[in-house]
Parts: sequence; C-alpha cells; structure tokens
Amino acid sequence: MTRRPLVALLAAAFLAPAGLAGPATPATAQVAIECPAPASPAAAAASAPAATPAAAPAEVAFPEGGGDLTVFAAASLTEAFEEIAAELEATNPGLAVTLNFGGSQALVTQIEQGAEADVFASANFAQMEAAEENGSIAGEPVVFVRNKLAIVVPTANPGGIGDPADLAADGVRLVLANPDVPVGRYAREALCLTGADPVAYGEGFVEAVAANIVSEEEDVRDVLAKVELGEADAGIVYVSDALVGGEAVSQIEIPEAVNRVAAYPIAAVAGGDAALAEAFIAYVLSPEGQGVLTGFGFEPAG
Amino acid sequence: MPVVAAERGTTPAGPRRGLPVALVWLLPLPLLLLLALPLVALVWRGASGEGLSAEGAMILRQALGLSLATSAVSTAAIVGFGTPLAYALARKRFPGARAVDLLIDLPIVLPPSVAGIALLLAFGRFGLVGSWLNAAGVTIGFTTAAVVLAQSFVAAPFYVRAAAGAFRRIDRDLEIAAANLGASPWRTLWSVTMPLALPSLLAGAVLAWARALGEFGATIMFAGSFPGVTQTMPLAIYGRYGSGDLETAILLSLALLVASAVTLAAIRALVGDRVAAPGA
Repeated sequence: MTRRPLVALLAAAFLAPAGLAGPATPATAQVAIECPAPASPAAAAASAPAATPAAAPAEVAFPEGGGDLTVFAAASLTEAFEEIAAELEATNPGLAVTLNFGGSQALVTQIEQGAEADVFASANFAQMEAAEENGSIAGEPVVFVRNKLAIVVPTANPGGIGDPADLAADGVRLVLANPDVPVGRYAREALCLTGADPVAYGEGFVEAVAANIVSEEEDVRDVLAKVELGEADAGIVYVSDALVGGEAVSQIEIPEAVNRVAAYPIAAVAGGDAALAEAFIAYVLSPEGQGVLTGFGFEPAG
Repeated sequence: MPVVAAERGTTPAGPRRGLPVALVWLLPLPLLLLLALPLVALVWRGASGEGLSAEGAMILRQALGLSLATSAVSTAAIVGFGTPLAYALARKRFPGARAVDLLIDLPIVLPPSVAGIALLLAFGRFGLVGSWLNAAGVTIGFTTAAVVLAQSFVAAPFYVRAAAGAFRRIDRDLEIAAANLGASPWRTLWSVTMPLALPSLLAGAVLAWARALGEFGATIMFAGSFPGVTQTMPLAIYGRYGSGDLETAILLSLALLVASAVTLAAIRALVGDRVAAPGA
C-alpha cells in the first residue's frame, strides 16, 4: 500500500470540516414563505373557526369507578392538560388519564396508524379535518380554546429584536415550525399579513424573513427550545408557549391586525371510550377547565 | 427426531457432529423474522405505492445528497483522527489511557438525545466553546458543520474500537522481524502494521459510516432541520412522517435502505469479504 491515498484522506479529514463551518448563512435551498394572493387577509380570517364553541356545556360526570382515558393533544397544551388531568384524577377515584403530546399533524398520523386514543385535541382545524376524513373522529369537533401568536427571543436578545419588522434584518437566525405544523402555518400567515403592508414593513419583507429561517422544527416546543438555548435569535410560538419559556425568553407582541388566532378543536376519537371522552371534553369546556387554560396564557373559546 | 438419530448413527466416529438442523434454524427464527419483516414491509409498501411526488423527489435529492456528503466527511474525519488515537490506545502506555478508553466507549452507550444536549452545551452559541467561537464570528448551530460534528460524535467510537482491536491483535513478532531486517519504525508501520490492520480498519470505517448515516437525535437537537443545509435523510423521513405524508416517508426510507445496501455491497466487492464482519 502506498502512503499517498492515506495522506490525501487525512488532509481531507482536516480540511473538510473547516470548510463547512463558518458564518451561518445557508448557502443552498431557500424554502420561501408562500403567501396567498393579495386578497388574503379577509380570506385567512374567514377560514378560521368553522365550528362554533359549545355554549354553556352541561356538566357530564365521569363514569362510576373511573377508567383509563387517553388524550392525544397538541404540544402547546402540555402544561394546561397536565394540570387538568391531575385535577380530574384527584376528584374522580379510579380515573387514570394518559396524555400524549406532539405536533397535531403527527398525532393524526399516530391515530390513523392505530394508536389507541379516546380524545383528540388539535391546534387547528386542518388536522382535525384530516382526522375526520380518515374516519378517526366520532361526533362533532368543538372549539375549546384559542391562542395568539407571539415572537419569542432569548432574554439576552442577541438579535436585537424589538418588533416584527426586525425579523427581516440581515443575519437574524429565525426558527419556525415547519409549514405542516399548525403553528408553523399560522406563523407564515402572520408574516404574510405583515408583509402585505409594505408602507410599514418595507418591500420584500416576507422574502427577507424567509431568508432568515435557519431551521424548521417539528413542533412548537422544539421552536421554543431552540430560542431558550439561545441558538436562535427569534422564534414564533403561541402566547401560551411564550409563558412556558419563563425567564429564559422574552415575548414580543405581534400586533392584533396581523396576528393569527389559532382555534383549538377537540373531539372524541372513534373506537375510544365515548363516556370518558364526553366527560373529559365537558370538563375542558366548563368554567373550571377554561380557568386552567386561561391561566396558562390561552384565550377562552367563547 | 429420527433424522438426527440416523445421522448420529452414520457418523459415530466423526470428529465433529453437526448440531441438529432444527436447532440451528428454528431457534433463531424469531430474530430473523424480526430483522427481515420490517424491511420486507418497507419494500412492499414502497413498491406498491404511487411513486414519489415532485415535492418528494426534491426532498429526496436534497436530503440524500446531504446525508451522503456529511457521512462521508464525518467518516473521513473519524478515520483521520481516530487511527492515530487507536494506535496510541493499543500500543502506548500513557497517563490517562483508561480515562480515554472510557471516553471512547461512552458515546456508544449514550442515547443520541444526551449527545444532542451535550453538543449544544459545548458548541451552542452560549456553550462552553461555542460562546468563544461566536465571539469570533463563527456559529456552528444550524450549519452543515453541526451535522458533521453530531455524526462524528456518535460514530467515532465504532471506528476507534475496531481500529484499536486490530492494532492489538497484530503479531508483534512480525514487526520485530521487520525492524531486525533494518526497516525504520515508519517503514514498519506502513509496510507491516497498516496492511495487517487494514481489513479491520475498513470494517470499522464502514460501521462508523453506517452510524453517521443513521444519526438522527443529536442532529435534530443540535443542528436543527432545514432542507439542503441540515435536513439529512433521517430528519427528512421523520419530518414527512410527522407531517402526515406517510407515502413520501416510506419512499424516502426505501431510498435510504437501497443506498445503504448498495454502498455496503460495493465496499465488500471492493475489499472482499474480510469486511463482512465488522466485529472481526
């Protein structure tokens, strides 16, 4: 064996990683934010809540002796649903609530592939409709809570973000959820609405923001984690998640006019325990359940 | 079992009696099925589907290209730095050798999520080293370099283990003979030691490459996920699965399976079956 190939290999090993490092400007493949036609704001607003919130739901008692209840819920509901589950388990002896959180779109796939669930709480209607279309849902979904978007930045604010316009500044490292995740879609819609006002935000706002996206995460909590760690300069999450981030993150408001409000639908899953599901949904819609949710930064359904 | 009895009867004095066929093939059957069925299902579903959409084809092109490139760079780096390390571990006594030995083993037992957190704490923007790099204008997070670091972290031990084992097993008498015949230490290394170790080094490199190609957890936590930059095949597959696009996820998985099989087969054809068993 001659020594030359090995020497070349060694040289490549030393040089290659050095060449790959450096300033973080993704050189290839820009996935632009695709905005709908200019007439969009009204359309986007109209498309929001299809189902109306259930008015003053009747209280439904859990079956005598409890049972095992499995709830699949959007990642943003984690803390609120954990508290609701704990309260229900404390007041209903024999009731055991299992919670499974994830991106709503991943939960739909899991349910479709046969995961056993009794209740599905989604962060948007598109995923609830996808679940309905594949026959996973029993009954009519109802809106149980709403959630606005907010920009989160690390407390040290390395990107110097003060308002949405700053997201377009050169070199800002922005992390969004991917466009198939509800919060990722809402975030892009909000950015499109923002860009539709070129007087306030300048021409090419959406393109500039799109060029700043460094990562597209699988759910809202992954976005938050990247900001908490300080890896990203900014992320767009729900207001409720911004609160979960605690002292590690600061929240920057997105103006009402360009914000998107997520309406969360909840429904019983076909093939699940209907009685347990009905009781859980009724509790979530009750004043107590709504109180827990608003305590975590959500807005009431009504 | 009459057949076995008959065999026993015909070769009573044979030096080696084969184990009963039933024992050799039936006992491992569950394991064989466990290994084969998921792959069969993947090929079956992938082949009976509608084929890749235009969007899926673009994801495949970007992600597979990125996966092959990053895993090749990681493997080259691991071999480049890992060979001298393995040699030192096998041949030299030095203070802290046991600690280094342990250090090499740890990434094998650590879950990738631990690797992801640890890499963030070291090379993240506010990390131990990352904060210095950041001050110097170099950020690693969300770049292709972060993918290579994550892959190298999890895959290096597999190569270093194999290489150190190879260096330990070489008959020292051959090296001594070469030295007695007047070969310099370097000449002995290149003409005797390295050729003897080569099959195991290649086997180790293949193992490390395979591990790098499959890296998922540390990458998604440390490097993020962006098409063409950090979204390798495992991340793209997870992303499609999570987005409810199971069809594309299946086809991407199939593509990765085929690419891996072809690469392994090519390497074996190139260097012979000596690389067949990485543990050897």
